[in-house]
Amino acid sequence: MNKIWLVFKYEYLRHVLRKRFLLGLLSVPLIIAFSIGVGFLSVLVTVDTRPVGYVDEAGIIRVVPPESLKTLRAYPDEAAARAALDAKQIQAYAVIAADYAETRRVRVVAMDASMMDDPADEVRQLVRQNLLLDEDEQIANRLVAGPQLEIRATEDDRRADERNVLGMALPIVAAILLLTVVNTSGGYLMQAVVEEKENRTMEILVTSLSPEQLMAGKTLGNLSVGLTQLGVWLGMAGLGLLVVVRFLPWGQNLNLSPAYFWLTLLTFLPAFVMIAALMAMVGATVTETREAQQVAGMFSLPLFVPLWFITPLLQDPNSTLALVFTFIPFTAPITLPLRAAYSTVPLWQSALSVGLLFASAIGAMWLAGRVFRLGMLRYGKRLSLKEIFKRS
Amino acid sequence: MASFEVEHIVKTFGSQRAVDDVTFAVEPGEIFGLLGPNGAGKTTTIRIALDIFKPDSGRVAVLGGPMSEDKKNRIGYLPEERGLYQDIRLEQCILYLATLKGLDRHTAQTRMEAYLEQFDLVAHRRKKLKELSKGMQQKAQLIVTLIHEPELLIVDEPFSALDPVNTQMIKDVLREQRRKGTTIVMCTHQMNQVEELCDRLVLINRGRVMLYGALDEIRRQYRSHTVLVRSLNGLPDGLVGVERVEPINGSVALHLRPDASPQAVLQELVQRSVQLEQFEVALPTLDEIFIEVVTGKETTA
Repeated sequence: MNKIWLVFKYEYLRHVLRKRFLLGLLSVPLIIAFSIGVGFLSVLVTVDTRPVGYVDEAGIIRVVPPESLKTLRAYPDEAAARAALDAKQIQAYAVIAADYAETRRVRVVAMDASMMDDPADEVRQLVRQNLLLDEDEQIANRLVAGPQLEIRATEDDRRADERNVLGMALPIVAAILLLTVVNTSGGYLMQAVVEEKENRTMEILVTSLSPEQLMAGKTLGNLSVGLTQLGVWLGMAGLGLLVVVRFLPWGQNLNLSPAYFWLTLLTFLPAFVMIAALMAMVGATVTETREAQQVAGMFSLPLFVPLWFITPLLQDPNSTLALVFTFIPFTAPITLPLRAAYSTVPLWQSALSVGLLFASAIGAMWLAGRVFRLGMLRYGKRLSLKEIFKRS
Repeated sequence: MASFEVEHIVKTFGSQRAVDDVTFAVEPGEIFGLLGPNGAGKTTTIRIALDIFKPDSGRVAVLGGPMSEDKKNRIGYLPEERGLYQDIRLEQCILYLATLKGLDRHTAQTRMEAYLEQFDLVAHRRKKLKELSKGMQQKAQLIVTLIHEPELLIVDEPFSALDPVNTQMIKDVLREQRRKGTTIVMCTHQMNQVEELCDRLVLINRGRVMLYGALDEIRRQYRSHTVLVRSLNGLPDGLVGVERVEPINGSVALHLRPDASPQAVLQELVQRSVQLEQFEVALPTLDEIFIEVVTGKETTA
């Protein structure tokens, strides 16, 4: 037990205390924060803050709400409005024609047609508010706000509405983050196993402790490196979310089901172990790090496959494709939580998928342990499949 | 009770029988030579003894019983394939491997200081291993092998690719260990080192035991029934029991008849007043025995 702890500590600190690791740890969130920041900045730069002018020839505007005083400016006639537009004091102006009562027409004039949308909205709101002045205030407010579509799941309180962009994106972001972590941990583990064959420390190690102790320490150590990475990233993401929820209105109705979290946990844990074990196995069969990295892609690539099919999966989360992906251990870790986030997955499907994943994880560990014992001291020759499955 | 014992072990890899019915025992406190040409099965035998491989059949006893995890802390092993973690500092590497041998950190630290001093590595303790010369890495490896003060020391080809200075250093270390009472098993194909260091030996070829016993006994067993004589006044003719006389480089080799003994010949020479400068029963070198056994007769065990 003590020796497992020693190996664990060595493997963990070796990676975590390295500059390379710290750099990678901080660079990913920083890159994400940076690109989000640049996105916001580019929106801010392009948004036109100049007011919108209007000419009320029909005489229907009686009240301008106080919050619109800065964004709307009244002009006595079109010539004055035009002059203001030419002087670039306003971004556009609207003319509410004298025959508005009959035609219901408002003409908007702007320098740049692509900017038409926002100024028109502003004027539309103003006209609506004024037309409804005589109505009951509650009805008026309701009419001004307009309808909001909300899609509810049939069996619980999950809902997806138009404004819950964050809730929609979260499962996908989580999937990508987790995949990255699985890959890094697995990669470290593989590297750690090959390294000892490459530098010939293996024989000293296996005459100091049992292959099982060595493998346990290594696996736990390198998985913890991945978990540390994930923890830090999730912590930063949480912080980011807090900011979003605090300062942005559309972050406030973020809503995800607990089922999603449980399924994520239940699928990623065994997937994590399975991939790590398979990578360790690769490490034990080959003799050089470079060779191992080439083979390792074989195991991590299938994990990403569901992301390539993300559109059909989201359009029909209960299609045959989705079902097939749910029951293949490599594609399940992404598919199942994604389906659970957007639709209702029958219990038997979730249970079978998670069961298969756990079985695969155990199988992979058994295989890795066996291959490790057989392959740890082979330097030149690779292991054959026949040898791996032969009884001894 | 033997420190190390294998009985009738057999190990096959694929179609190749690497170890075929090998039996020998190593007594406490001796330096034991495990000899054989390259690919004879020495390293496989060691790995079976250390529980790295399981034998197909046969019995292994180490330090008075089957190999166990606790016993690993009492064994020092210098593998033929040398190498340590390249990417970490020397002291970090030694400390990690020492604690894996069951030492607590404090003891490991104290002993490491002493060894670094002894092997002249103090100035390099903070360097990464890949920055050290090959000779320094060999010393580091030796520290790792010895730091937990093993009762049984197994060294596989300890002198391969070493310069004379480092060869002498390893010999000194092995002698010092024997003085401390450590049992040492030395795998090698370098016979001169065995003649210099080993008390007893086993010679393996193609997985089978060809010779086994004390060094002196084996050499006597393989003596060629010849005596080397150098005299100041020449040798008389017609010596009893002598089959053939062969002059060699100033002295004379007397090849004896199978029933004659060197003792009788010496007696006769003295009686006939031959002034002797040298009288030596010609014992073959281990090298000669090795070549004879490996190339000549492969059927006798």
